Amino acid sequence: MDKKLAVYICSGCSIGETVDVEKMAKVAEKEYKAPICRVHPCLCGKEGLELIQKDMAAEGVNTMVIAACSPRVKTAAFTFDPTAVIAERVNIREHVAWCQKPKDEDTQMMAEDYLRMGIVKAQKSELLEAVSDPISKTILVVGGGITGITSALEAAAAGYEVVLVEKQPQLGGFMSFVKNRLPQEPPYQGLEPNGIAEKIQQVLYNPKVKVFTSAKIARTSGQPGQFDVTIEAEGKATEVRVGAIVMATGWKPYDAAKLGHLGYGLSPDVVTNVEFEKMAASGQIKRPSDGKAPESVLFVQCAGSRDKEHLPYCSSVCCLATLKHATYIHEQNADAKVFIVYKDMRTPAQNERFYRFAQDHPLNFLTKGEVAKVEKSGDGKLSVSVTNTLLGEDLLIPVDMVVLAAGMVPNSADGEAIRAFEDAKLKAEKGDSESQRADAAKKADELKCHQGTEILNLTYRQGPDLPVLRHGFPDSHFVCFPYETRRTGIYAAGCVRAPMDSLHAEDDALGAAMKAVQSVELASKGKAVHPRSQDLSFPSFFLQRCTQCKRCTEECPFGTLDEDEKGTPKPNPYRCRRCGICMGACPERIISFKNYSVDMIASMIKSIEIPPEEDEKPRVLVFMCENDAYPALDIAGMNHVMYDPCVRIIPLRCLGSMNIVWIADALSSGFDGVMLFGCKYGDDYQCHFAKGSELANRRLDNVKETLQRLQLEKERIEVHQLAINEYDKLPGLINKFMDLIREIGPNPYKGF
Amino acid sequence: MAEAITVKPDTAFIRELQGCGGGDLKKCYQCATCSVVCNLSPDESPFPRKQMVLAQWGMKDQLLADPAIWLCHNCGDCSTMCPRGARPGDVFGALRKAAIERYSFPGFLAKVAGKPAGFLLLLLLPVLVFAAIVLFAPKGELTPDPEFANLFPQNILEPLFFAVSGLVLIAFAIGLARFIKALRKAGATGPIIPNLVPAAVEILAHSRFKKCGAERARYWGHMLTLWGFVGLAFMGTVVGIGTMIGVMHTPLDLMNPWKIFANVCAVVVFVGLVIILFDRLADPVKRAASTYFDWLFLLVLVGVVFTGILSEAMRLMGADPAMFYVYFVHLVLIMMLFLYAPYTKFAHIAYRTVAMAAAKS
Repeated sequence: MDKKLAVYICSGCSIGETVDVEKMAKVAEKEYKAPICRVHPCLCGKEGLELIQKDMAAEGVNTMVIAACSPRVKTAAFTFDPTAVIAERVNIREHVAWCQKPKDEDTQMMAEDYLRMGIVKAQKSELLEAVSDPISKTILVVGGGITGITSALEAAAAGYEVVLVEKQPQLGGFMSFVKNRLPQEPPYQGLEPNGIAEKIQQVLYNPKVKVFTSAKIARTSGQPGQFDVTIEAEGKATEVRVGAIVMATGWKPYDAAKLGHLGYGLSPDVVTNVEFEKMAASGQIKRPSDGKAPESVLFVQCAGSRDKEHLPYCSSVCCLATLKHATYIHEQNADAKVFIVYKDMRTPAQNERFYRFAQDHPLNFLTKGEVAKVEKSGDGKLSVSVTNTLLGEDLLIPVDMVVLAAGMVPNSADGEAIRAFEDAKLKAEKGDSESQRADAAKKADELKCHQGTEILNLTYRQGPDLPVLRHGFPDSHFVCFPYETRRTGIYAAGCVRAPMDSLHAEDDALGAAMKAVQSVELASKGKAVHPRSQDLSFPSFFLQRCTQCKRCTEECPFGTLDEDEKGTPKPNPYRCRRCGICMGACPERIISFKNYSVDMIASMIKSIEIPPEEDEKPRVLVFMCENDAYPALDIAGMNHVMYDPCVRIIPLRCLGSMNIVWIADALSSGFDGVMLFGCKYGDDYQCHFAKGSELANRRLDNVKETLQRLQLEKERIEVHQLAINEYDKLPGLINKFMDLIREIGPNPYKGF
Repeated sequence: MAEAITVKPDTAFIRELQGCGGGDLKKCYQCATCSVVCNLSPDESPFPRKQMVLAQWGMKDQLLADPAIWLCHNCGDCSTMCPRGARPGDVFGALRKAAIERYSFPGFLAKVAGKPAGFLLLLLLPVLVFAAIVLFAPKGELTPDPEFANLFPQNILEPLFFAVSGLVLIAFAIGLARFIKALRKAGATGPIIPNLVPAAVEILAHSRFKKCGAERARYWGHMLTLWGFVGLAFMGTVVGIGTMIGVMHTPLDLMNPWKIFANVCAVVVFVGLVIILFDRLADPVKRAASTYFDWLFLLVLVGVVFTGILSEAMRLMGADPAMFYVYFVHLVLIMMLFLYAPYTKFAHIAYRTVAMAAAKS
């Protein structure tokens, strides 16, 4: 395509009073020979936009640089069809005019550098193409419990075909043997029928839902919009093509055999909450030992939950289940005594009202405390010792029955661990040396609990199931990425995502179904899903130069890339979230997007003017994650917080897309330092691409070698994790780093 | 740590507490806001959270032998701040009533005193006694101006009241002995009897009362009532002994220093009681929280003071025969106040003193 470049500079919003826009225009005209360069006092206004439209129509402008406000604002005004126009926005308002000294030489240099970077980026960009492959909009729901059924019904109601797969012969899951549900509506006091039978009927008779029971998934291959799933049911394999998957495989109770310290196994009268629920649902609540109705029952809360030795987390429903069970007991025998020993009563949302209701019963006795021992006493009763009570005294409570309120374990499979197990097993057989084989055998032994746990049986290089977060839940940072997993187009809902009650599971089901719908709709237009929703760009691989190092296939957080036997990446474009982490990983720099590449950023770095050493104007390059740090800097601008004018910001799709060659380029071309801002990583990660920020940090270890080779101080590189709300910290961090750089002195490579 | 307590919830006791002021008891979710906001709660053994748990669990023995329930002066801060509306202050009121019922001798009288249905029964005995005096006692000689002794001879009244006081003191002694025994059993080891004096001084000074939240009015009301009442009781004893040994002759002259002292005390009590009454009635929450047990004691006391002042005024005005009717009511109420002191809220004066003495050790 022949590019016709136009540069538009807005002088509104105090930009004109801070920088000399005419001088900026000269940069575009003289240095970059821009055929069209216009300054306008209000570019986003009707007149300004008409000016752009006129140039596009009359002059054939197809590449434009708009130097005005942040690309995060006025998006409606400045969005153009990416298949027809390359439009690059340069932020001279939030990042220059609002945070720098007006009419200052340094401010002017900053604005001009940003313009140069923008022009170079536009020059290096190519038009995007809209791809359209055949995309299936069918949604597969895995698991036929209340979450799966609700998801299926919701997706069907939205007009999508659904395939529902259930392992058991009947639908309904755990809810089908629950006596009552918790209160669902005001005043949140009365228990309600479980209602699952009606839902099962609805889904069985829904013409849009195809149900497979006694089924398992033998294989899931492909990518969003094109998943090919082999379902084995009743000895028959069926192949279905689906566009997205909702994983609602639910939970299983924590293994009570591990709760011997709380008396499980000691007497048949010590039961779990699930056993108690089933007993209540099947009719009368009886003491298992003699079949009599219990006169007194003690509930042990957090039985194996919030306990480092067992389940470290709170299952959020056991307290409510216990209050429900207390109500069952009093329905049966109004004079029965119910003791509840808790760590903390946790009754989220409106369930607090149910807690109050249950607590008000004169024969419900609650205390905070720890159950130290459960023993059989002579009279056939159980005797429970409770310590650390609020009374400051130990209690001995004789009761007929003890119920252990145990927690939920997700029915998930740790895909990465299964893959690691398979790899280790292979290595244990075919390793190069004896010690290598022994190490691999040891690792395989550690991971052997994952053997045979597969659910989705994905054909992904990174493992056959969803990667999990802490404690085996295939969740994500829920506030930012609800229902998402690290496999694009596969959404987790219900208790497999996080422990929850049935009401929340239904909410989850709806949410995940809508995410699945969104995923197939975007895939049908060749667009990325959240967080780069609507993005049309795809990575391309120049495979002739690939060295099969496997970094991209290993590092992609979303398992986009499979491998052939040699290790050459095989892209599955619809799995891609366009974060560019593969591009950052590739040592050969063969991965690029049409509008984002190693070469492009390198050229932008080169376009920045480095003043000679004697000017005493240091230059620091700042790579900023465009998801959190960049908007934080915008907010700093909006608050007119000043910071050092010697920094030059380059936004990155994700810090994980940072290729270390840029750092080497920057330092060897005279930059005095490099700062990197990514999102928080770790257990409570905020990285929009799950692993990007962490990977960038890991790569920086290699940069230290580069510094050593160049004989530069390692202090010249700083990396920070920043959340979007920490805008107040940002200018301080920049200024502090600039002080440090001035102290260290200029980069000796300046001027080379 | 002491040996573990075997839990046997007294469910009747829970329902009893719920029926006499502790109706919101079960709402407590044991957060300890109450213990934190209470200015009287000692750091080493804070209340009222622990007692709330004990009460919810129906652990009667532990509760009624706990001096903490008497260390509360019912300012109501805990009830106001309670996030669940469990009203610990009211629960403590109910607990104190239960404690009086448990320890007082003979116990059935406390049961009668604790229920509205028993009111007429309580009234009956003094009415009969004074009616008998009016009808059957030998009358003194008539005086130029009407005097109460015309109808209610002193040589009968004084020994009668001394005898009643004696009985009351014996009943109190038995009740307190039971209380102290229970305190000992519950683990109180320090000296109690020697601590009674400092405890009484503290009560007279109202130093703990003063710490109670923002309740200035109650502080003044209670202090004036107590001081005035102590003054009147002292006066009554002096005059009683004086008349019996013949060194004093009632009615005393208005300018007699003893009479001046007595009248001042009567006014002080009256002002104190008006403050207390107003405090209870003005606040709808307090009004709702006040039980029959509270009202019985308060209204009898108000009645005694009011009829006392009224009968004195009527005597001075020579309002014959109306003054005799008023005086009759006055005598009936005084008898009720004293005779039933060990079984009504009046008993708090004794139990609180002992509990405070026990808590000092």
